[in-house]
Amino acid sequence: MRTKNQKIRDFVLSAISVIVLIALWCAVSTSKPDFFPTPMATIERLVKLFEKPIMKVSIWGHIFASLKRVLFAIGASIIIGVGLGLIMGWNKKVRAAIYPIIMTLRPIPPIAWIPLIILLFGVGEFPKVLLVFIGSVFPILLNTISAVSMVDDMYLKVGKVYKANTWQTLHHIVFPASMPTILAGIKIAISSGWMVVVAAEMLASKSGLGFLITRGRDSYDVALIMVAMILIGIVGAALSIVFSFIERRLCGWMSS
Amino acid sequence: MDEQLGTIKVKLRNISKSFYSRKEVFEAVDNISIDVYENEFLVLLGPGQCGKTVLLNMISGLESPTEGTVQFTDNNATDVGFVFQKTAVFPWKTVMENVELPLELKKEDKTERRKRAQYLIDLVGLNGFENSLPKQLSGGMKQRVGIARAYANNPQVLLMDEPFGALDAQTRYQMEEEVLRIWEQEKRTVIFVTNNIEEAVYLADRVIVLSSCPAKVKEIYNIKLQRPRDYVNQDFLRLREAIEKNTDLAL
Amino acid sequence: MGNQDEKTTSKVANSILIETAARKRERKQLLIISLVCIFLFFGIWEIAVRLNWIDGKYLCAPSAVIKTFMTKLSDPKPDGAVLGIHIITSLKLVLIGYIAAIIIGVPLGLLMGYYHTFDKLVSPIFEIIRPIPPIAWIPLSIIWLGVGTAAKCFIIFLAAFVPCVINSYTGVKLTPPVLVNVAKTCGATRWEIFSTVCVHYAMPLTFTGIQVSLGNAWSTLVASELVSATAGLGYMIQQGRSLVRPDIILVGMLTIGILGAIFTTLLSKLENKVVKWRAKS
Repeated sequence: MRTKNQKIRDFVLSAISVIVLIALWCAVSTSKPDFFPTPMATIERLVKLFEKPIMKVSIWGHIFASLKRVLFAIGASIIIGVGLGLIMGWNKKVRAAIYPIIMTLRPIPPIAWIPLIILLFGVGEFPKVLLVFIGSVFPILLNTISAVSMVDDMYLKVGKVYKANTWQTLHHIVFPASMPTILAGIKIAISSGWMVVVAAEMLASKSGLGFLITRGRDSYDVALIMVAMILIGIVGAALSIVFSFIERRLCGWMSS
Repeated sequence: MDEQLGTIKVKLRNISKSFYSRKEVFEAVDNISIDVYENEFLVLLGPGQCGKTVLLNMISGLESPTEGTVQFTDNNATDVGFVFQKTAVFPWKTVMENVELPLELKKEDKTERRKRAQYLIDLVGLNGFENSLPKQLSGGMKQRVGIARAYANNPQVLLMDEPFGALDAQTRYQMEEEVLRIWEQEKRTVIFVTNNIEEAVYLADRVIVLSSCPAKVKEIYNIKLQRPRDYVNQDFLRLREAIEKNTDLAL
Repeated sequence: MGNQDEKTTSKVANSILIETAARKRERKQLLIISLVCIFLFFGIWEIAVRLNWIDGKYLCAPSAVIKTFMTKLSDPKPDGAVLGIHIITSLKLVLIGYIAAIIIGVPLGLLMGYYHTFDKLVSPIFEIIRPIPPIAWIPLSIIWLGVGTAAKCFIIFLAAFVPCVINSYTGVKLTPPVLVNVAKTCGATRWEIFSTVCVHYAMPLTFTGIQVSLGNAWSTLVASELVSATAGLGYMIQQGRSLVRPDIILVGMLTIGILGAIFTTLLSKLENKVVKWRAKS
């Protein structure tokens, strides 16, 4: 009974906070609608966006454009990051060879690459995918390296006792044991990649959700900025929810 | 007396092992020579952290001795089974996959290894849990998986490194009985490491008492009590007391 | 006894010599590999540009980057300010936003972790705002706060704020109930439990959050300066792009990277000082 009461109380508290947020939004926006679109104006803008494409691309097209860039880049990051990470975590010499270069590049935020990449490759699809790749490969790579080098020694002993060769050890022991840490890396990579794609699209693009923000700014369409921000938030949250689901499926063996 | 114990399976000769970091030297094992006989249940009893695990590691080939040799009588049959201190059962594999692993690593035929693994799972009493994940099993059950997996390698020698150390007392007694039952059914040479005197006397054909750091052979006891043994039998208790007086168990 | 000790010591000493020699050799070998590879990396880059495999107009050689770096220390051309001014402009922005985020975010997270009612009141708002990348706020904050310092500080604040809150929140939530119970049996009040037990327990995780925040703040700074600024490192690399001066871009990237690395190092030094009780792994 008490827990039920508590649940109701929690719900009421959450509801209050959301209502306060919306009320605040209404209050600020009605006094200065040019600076801050009202909730109604935002919804209207969203509806209009479904009917009227921007730059001949529908709203779905823009969402899809951003998603496509992120997913391609993350895919490449996973293949390269996990592959290279396994090798680097496993083999000291390979690690010694590549690690210093990675450590030199790593402190440069992915966004700081934007001008150079645009200068080198223009404003097509490839430079944007490359930027997201730069933004997402480091967390995957570094997590994989540390996961592999921290595999419980006892598990490796089991492999040795039963005379597993290198490939078998990687396949049966090292890779599955590293899985949780690798997935955590991918999770960071997804949110970082999503941020980079928005930044890249804001600076140089004719499609995508980031582009919509810039478009809104250039045409003094504050409601469009707001809509784009909300969509960016929703798609970003959806990405991480979908990934958490995949994570649970892949690592169901972990004790809670 | 040696003839009674049958043929020699493994010979340890003058084994020493020390570890060193940049500053310190740590001697774990000092000049141990032991003969291990076929199908005997040998218990290595010793205090604390010292040397016992290292000794097993050297027999299994995980580590090589600083000095001395480990020799299997038949050089072509050096496969061992290893039951680890903590449960080294892979949490990402089901019971079946765990038990199958040694056979899979030897690239044995799939149906063949399934059959063998199923037999062993039944043997250790885990019938019905083939597709369970380790997180669904209790500590005792996980150790049963470990035992089945060790048997799956068709080992010449079965090495057990304080396998029941982490279990609660009740489960521990039960597992001691179980391990004897399994051993009677599938006879192997067993080398069992423990720091528990009662466990040693209950299980062993022979108890080798090791000294504290570095480990040396202190005394060898042949246990001739009838199985199943009774923990409160007069002879049992007398033997237990004798060993107790002779060990430097640092507790 | 002494005799035997001597014997074993000499035996052991011998094998130590062999093994330490082997270890030393391995370490030396790895170091050489590292040096060779990093040298190769920059060497190939240099040669590629010199032999015109890569168009020097779009990517300059490492030697040119160093040269430009030296001249930029005193020469405001072509982007309007010497390197020092850019650095100071950027540092000022980052520090204001970052410190504000720590001052507000950490206590907020700690309180949310401990006081249930407060948590339920605040976290929905937090959860709604969190998924929007701070960069997406740039145009809106410029409209609100103008193109000056305030807008950029606000965005950096947003970027650094989130990890501060989440980590200190989680830190408090993970406090083992045993510790709380110990304090309770000693007669501590709720506030005392919070301030003596939970806050301390949350410190390591909070510090991790503060570190993550720093990375976020630093990269968001660059983004906000890319979009609109008249000085600063982000502005400098953006100018480098408009003027097609890859050397300026690379000097900017290099400076951003070095400063970021310096900050991270300083922060982990500080962390080791503050969170002494945590066992080192």
